[in-house]
Amino acid sequence: MIVLGIETSCDETAVALVDDRRHVRADLVLSQLAEHRPYGGVVPEIAARSHLDHLDGLIRRAMAEADLGFDQIDGVAVTGGPGLIGGIIVGVMTAKAIAAVRGLPFVAVNHLEGHALTVRLTDDLAFPYLLLLVSGGHCQLLMVEGVGRYRRLGTTVDDAAGEAFDKAAKLVGLGYPGGPAVEQAAARATEHDGDRFSLPRPMVGRPGCDFSFSGLKTALRQRVAAITAAAPDGRLSDRDRDALAAAFQTAVADCLADRTANAIRLVHADGPAPTARPTALVVAGGVAANRTLRARLEQVAAAGGLRLVAPPLRLCTDNAAMIAWAGLERLRQGGRDDLDFAPRPRWPLDPAAPKATGAGVKA
Amino acid sequence: MTVSRTASPTVLALDSAAGACSAALWRQGRLAGHRYRAMARGHAEALLPMVIETMAAAGAGFDELDLIAATVGPGAFTGLRIGLATARGLALATGVPALGVTTFAAVAEAVPPAERTGRTLLVLLDTKRSDLFAQRFDAELEALGAPAVLSVDALEDWIPDGPVIVAGDGVALARPVLSGLATRCAADIAYATAGDLPDAAHVARIAARLFASGTSRGTSGETPGGLPAVPLYLRAPAVTAPRDAGR
Repeated sequence: MIVLGIETSCDETAVALVDDRRHVRADLVLSQLAEHRPYGGVVPEIAARSHLDHLDGLIRRAMAEADLGFDQIDGVAVTGGPGLIGGIIVGVMTAKAIAAVRGLPFVAVNHLEGHALTVRLTDDLAFPYLLLLVSGGHCQLLMVEGVGRYRRLGTTVDDAAGEAFDKAAKLVGLGYPGGPAVEQAAARATEHDGDRFSLPRPMVGRPGCDFSFSGLKTALRQRVAAITAAAPDGRLSDRDRDALAAAFQTAVADCLADRTANAIRLVHADGPAPTARPTALVVAGGVAANRTLRARLEQVAAAGGLRLVAPPLRLCTDNAAMIAWAGLERLRQGGRDDLDFAPRPRWPLDPAAPKATGAGVKA
Repeated sequence: MTVSRTASPTVLALDSAAGACSAALWRQGRLAGHRYRAMARGHAEALLPMVIETMAAAGAGFDELDLIAATVGPGAFTGLRIGLATARGLALATGVPALGVTTFAAVAEAVPPAERTGRTLLVLLDTKRSDLFAQRFDAELEALGAPAVLSVDALEDWIPDGPVIVAGDGVALARPVLSGLATRCAADIAYATAGDLPDAAHVARIAARLFASGTSRGTSGETPGGLPAVPLYLRAPAVTAPRDAGR
């Protein structure tokens, strides 16, 4: 079985072809970063226009790279949500059109399900497992029990983790996107200044698995204001900037570690049967690219008797291989969607979970 | 890609640019299948099932198509992308070209020849932002000048001398100005009985004509006559770069 996957829910146009022997036949990602950088964030209308300009050509390229024709594929999978609706529509309509012409099954995939199932493509991991999903749009802890079966243990009540990195980078005068910029600045500060500043760790020590980053962002803003007010030139020195980035990154790492440790205790406690125990702690999403965070999560997993599994960085950030794979898993179970599918800007993986606010509102 | 030219192409056309959603199949010089529904939203859900119904009504297979056509705008940004992403996906999967037709041309095509004879045809489209997209055509539907974005106040100066006929869903917005002109200046302004909203049936007819004339001119490439299947937005994204961003 070979599935074509399409991803257009944010600022990356991506197309992939994946087969049921877990081979990625093609995996193309066209980043729009340069188009959005002048605005300091993703502009939905610019993203939607760019997806339409590039998607059909990218599909043609992926098919050529994999040396496959439409008559050799068994299904078309596309991100149906959650995310930016203008881009999702471009991907969904393109996928529907291909499915209609070629008489192929059409599968609308939840973007988060793509992230959640990636480790089954890369590592053939068995269900169930615990998933920390940390990206520019999401911050959730989920128990992944099977294809289409997700139990949300916690989510952010305000900002997503990646969003917090972007805002922190902006506050201290680093560029967009904030994740890599903060990580590099923190690395520069590590030797001497890594612990010169201390910032609060919202939610840490409290029961449950929810996240919050807005208080941390406010504390950082106040700290920047205090430093610049006291400075003769009213500016933040490079050294202070890097030290603040390090303090911010450490605080986020502590938050993620604390909430994840709670989640591990929770799933061990409510799963006395060995089959209900997680086989691993999985971290996915763009923020999982941060090496400091990964190192902290290694410790948390080990302390909880679990191994940490993280997909390669390329498959942690947005891509279409994960969408093709999630579609393939759905198809193998006989799942497919109708061609009147309505794109879903909001689409929770766990419909039974209480409604969240902030960045968690969409999923 | 080898495109076989024929004077009587089979064309699948789509429109979802404005307040309606439609699909049409043009074959052997006539409309062989057609679905049309007025709708303010829901185009993304409705369009593909309408395409499939249209093909089924005509008893046609996708492998019989010579050409895909869709409205490129102006219109609702999301609506344009629904139609064009679908058209380009259909073109990719069938291996036939996709061609664009402006919403102005689609609306103009709907105005019966008897009504436009001896008049300049003014197509006025509601931008949904209290102004108008506008373009003039002669009685034979040749465009007279480029499309414009006009405030209602600027409309009076834009209207040419001589008898005119107006069409499009922007007519409602323009009506006070048009009535004023008729009363004060005795302007000869007629209102079209058709062409309120674009319809794929007219898009298909235009595309078939362009395709056939492409044959006679011997043009080649992926877009036989007409426009490429890319949006005619007429407006930039509503966004300005913050002063401190992008450092």
